[in-house]
Amino acid sequence: MNENTPPPESPSGQGMDYSEIADVHEVHAAVQREKREPRVGREPLSIWLIAVYGLAVFFGGAYLGRFSGNFSGEALDPYGGEMPTMKKVTGPQGAQQAAELSPRDRGKKVFAANCQTCHQANGLGVAGQYPPLAGSEFTTGGSRRPAMIVLKGLTGPVKVKGQQFGSAVMQPWDKTLTDQRIADVLTYERSEWGNNASVVTAEQIAALRKELAGRTESFTEHDILAVPDEDLPGGTSAPGAPPKPSEAAKPGEPPKP
Amino acid sequence: MNATGIPLQEPAISAAAGETEQFERALIDASTRVPVLIFYTSAMAWLILGTLLAGFVSFKLHTPDLLSDISFLTWGRVRPVHMNVMVYGWASMAGIGTAIWLMARLCRTVLRYPLLLVAGAGFWNLGVFLGVCGILLGDSTGYQWLEFPSYAAIILFVAYTLVASWAVLMFRFRRGEQIYITQWYLLGAFLWFPWLYAAGQLMLFVVPVQGVLQAAVGWWYANNLLFLWFGAIGLGTAYYMIPKVIGRPVYSYHLAAIGFWSYALFSSWTGMQRLVDGPFPAWMVTASIAATILTLIPVATVGLNHHMTMQGYFPLMRYSPTLRFTVFGAMSYTVFSLVGVLISLRSVARYVNFTQASIAYSHLGLYAFFTMVIFGSMYYIVPRLIGREWRYGSLIKLHFWASAYGIGLMTLMLLAGGLTQGTGMENPSLAFSESVESVLPYLRGRSLSGILLTVSHFIFAYHFGLMLFGLGRKSTVPTFLNPVEAEGAEPH
Amino acid sequence: MKGLAPLFLGIFGTFAFSWVGLTVIPNWQIGHLNPQSDEEGTDVYPMPQSGMVTRGARVYAANGCNYCHSQQVRAEYAGADIERKWGDRRSAPRDYIFERPALLGKMRMGQDLANIGARAPKEEESPSPTSGASPAPQAAAASPGAVAPVKAVSPPPSISPSSATAPATSPGAIASKPPTSPGAVSPPPSKSPATASVGGTSPAAAPSPPAAGPPWPEQTAGLPPMYSAAWHHVHLYSPRSINLDSNMPSYRFLYRARRISAGRSSEALQLTGSGAPPEGWEIVPTFDARCLVAYMMALNQSHPLKDVRSAGAPPAASPAASPSPAPGGQPAK
Repeated sequence: MNENTPPPESPSGQGMDYSEIADVHEVHAAVQREKREPRVGREPLSIWLIAVYGLAVFFGGAYLGRFSGNFSGEALDPYGGEMPTMKKVTGPQGAQQAAELSPRDRGKKVFAANCQTCHQANGLGVAGQYPPLAGSEFTTGGSRRPAMIVLKGLTGPVKVKGQQFGSAVMQPWDKTLTDQRIADVLTYERSEWGNNASVVTAEQIAALRKELAGRTESFTEHDILAVPDEDLPGGTSAPGAPPKPSEAAKPGEPPKP
Repeated sequence: MNATGIPLQEPAISAAAGETEQFERALIDASTRVPVLIFYTSAMAWLILGTLLAGFVSFKLHTPDLLSDISFLTWGRVRPVHMNVMVYGWASMAGIGTAIWLMARLCRTVLRYPLLLVAGAGFWNLGVFLGVCGILLGDSTGYQWLEFPSYAAIILFVAYTLVASWAVLMFRFRRGEQIYITQWYLLGAFLWFPWLYAAGQLMLFVVPVQGVLQAAVGWWYANNLLFLWFGAIGLGTAYYMIPKVIGRPVYSYHLAAIGFWSYALFSSWTGMQRLVDGPFPAWMVTASIAATILTLIPVATVGLNHHMTMQGYFPLMRYSPTLRFTVFGAMSYTVFSLVGVLISLRSVARYVNFTQASIAYSHLGLYAFFTMVIFGSMYYIVPRLIGREWRYGSLIKLHFWASAYGIGLMTLMLLAGGLTQGTGMENPSLAFSESVESVLPYLRGRSLSGILLTVSHFIFAYHFGLMLFGLGRKSTVPTFLNPVEAEGAEPH
Repeated sequence: MKGLAPLFLGIFGTFAFSWVGLTVIPNWQIGHLNPQSDEEGTDVYPMPQSGMVTRGARVYAANGCNYCHSQQVRAEYAGADIERKWGDRRSAPRDYIFERPALLGKMRMGQDLANIGARAPKEEESPSPTSGASPAPQAAAASPGAVAPVKAVSPPPSISPSSATAPATSPGAIASKPPTSPGAVSPPPSKSPATASVGGTSPAAAPSPPAAGPPWPEQTAGLPPMYSAAWHHVHLYSPRSINLDSNMPSYRFLYRARRISAGRSSEALQLTGSGAPPEGWEIVPTFDARCLVAYMMALNQSHPLKDVRSAGAPPAASPAASPSPAPGGQPAK
């Protein structure tokens, strides 16, 4: 062993450094009884292990193929289409397309954005100020009256469900909402909160809009009540709603003073 | 004998190693002393702190009014501190310490540039400390295992760069042609971690990805940290310790190679199964579940390899602390993987998602597997650094059984509790609070197991402290667990 | 293994495979989503949130709320979340595009919060009882004729069938007054929330949940309406005053006690029992607490998404089941 050692840190990669003699002796005991550094044997693979690999790859791959929804970014559902054993497929909406919203859903959005502030989300309105829509004879009767109200607005006192309202004014929506949106929101109101009346279509609203084209002022209660409580012509029959007696289709008459 | 006379190849003898090789190893050990002990000591300190925090967190979960109302002691802040102290303080530092020693031994060269490691340890400690303070003061980011605010994370990254540069240099100066199995795993771990950490920090905080992808990246990071950093170090350590202590070669090279590559390939794809049925494209979650199933390949392979290596030598576990801890850890790796597969299948995940079961899974991986393997390696390495043997075999035994029972009890409690909780949650006729009620007894049981683990860690810390202060046994015979019987047994 | 090069390549390649596959490709697929809007470009969902809400998200993350609460609704085939009325539909990636951090959560020691803002009582448009601090749709509330869709913050909270519709009190206050006095909205605590009000007002409860018990724990009297902003403050301050079995830690450090000067302030917490402050003192939230509650009130995924089927939308018409619509919860004044 070399007593005259080079400086402790030997930068070259070749030799070992024997300078720390004392430490070497101290650790020597443990090192001495050690086994040699580990080596690797060369046993061949067992056929059973390969079988296990095959099974794992098979199951993993099958799982990957079956539940990946075609690797698309939009498929949140691992089952791709309808899961065959799912008990509740689409809920009460039956045949509705996944991507489209029904008129009621659209109408609900329109309601939420425009009507809810006054008539409230539960359709109960505000006592003394905004009439309720839930169970209101105007909403659930024929579709002509509520369609007129929505298109041209309503001013003055009005009695709904036996209560008097009149401190607030309802604005006309004919300039702001399209026919489709008015039809949708009416459909929504007429089937929500226990209401059960016929749907309203965009064509019906379009026709009504033409009828009322010349009118600029809002309606009053008197005007509305003067009009027969009938459905707008051209609609489909309501699902389960009791048909209202429909008189001969007659356009709304101008209000009498 | 002279400096250049050391043979480059290992002597082809089956008996105990020749003198030159012994000298070599002794010198290597001596050179690794300071850096490894610095890492180990820091890790032990963080372990004690983390264990105390763990008890605190566990108790607060079922007794929420314990010391509440104080902002830096609120459960939501102490829990991430516990997790991060354990992950970055204890586990990472102890893992790095073991890896340093293993790298030096396997590269068969003295440790060079120890200052890199010392500086690395210093920065690492600083980073963890700052991170802990940051979380307690309200700067936690909210992502699991990435809660350190950026000022701490950057310091950690700097610390890591120092350690990694050291590893690269060591590898550059290695001697010998063969690259042993452990070195593959360690090299993998040292290369994967910075990429992983940088990717996590960049994609979440620097140039954040949009929306749910943040959660996806967060869990990809957390799972990959578990597998590609801790798992790789743990497996590599086991591959060294088991054949080394027994004195037999590893059973099969082919198994080892397949095990390593399939591990790298499949376990890196896991992570999304923690977000089963979340708002993600289905293929991401399915890919992770499929990958989790496929991780059974490396598990089976590595398990078989170790088992066949130890064939006939299992009785040695009675005497050797290292072997006992390491084999426990290696077996836990199998259990951990099986549990992982089970809880990720969608049909099971329905009942187990959002429950304590995922905590059981994390602790199985980090404690039952990684920490136990590291304990084993510390029992092996520390005498070789200090030149003394462990003082009390009884303390080692106590440590082992307290840890084993502690983690076993904890796993059982959390898995059973999680299942109860999940079943309750899935039953809409039960109020939600009932599902929480049903898991509380299991959480109290978990606190009990926490007491066991606390005792175990304090024992180990005390024992380690004794060694550190030079109070170990001076002996040529190692500390066996059952010394009376060991007299006639194989030398350690 | 002999060569270093194949080892390096393999280590690099396996990890690159996972990194690209699990983070880069999903980023390409769902990393640049835009909010959806209808044909006219209005009704945009989701909308970026206000500053208070964003700060509230950070308070939520920093205090570890994510470790007990999740914010993702699972689909019906995957879990009972929708049956528990935690949402109308499952969560989708588009719901989270403006969230940072996205706190999906992995644990439910407390209930899922993805739609907690939607479960607030309807009058509570403003997220907090404090004046002016609310990023509420004030514009819409103030003018009945307002047509513009809610630009401010959360989409108009649509009504999940059994949302905790607290009894409509002080109804006149809503539209005509500026939304700064909902501090006065502390209704007589006569109703226990969901169960009572569900039957009366919305017949959409007709496909009522198979629940034997209420979805939410019963609430003791004297408390603000469930899931209102005031309720959240009380819940954060003292969870066990609301639900004795609750396991949630109390967050008193988010609140300050101060002397009552010139009358109780509108933001004082309505505490009763042992948690109430002594005479002459009131508990008020700090700014962080207000932000946190603003965040909670903005958590609302009830807006229908084209990407996802609405599972629990009310039926088109359920003739047999709907009672005559004389609502029990009549807004009697």
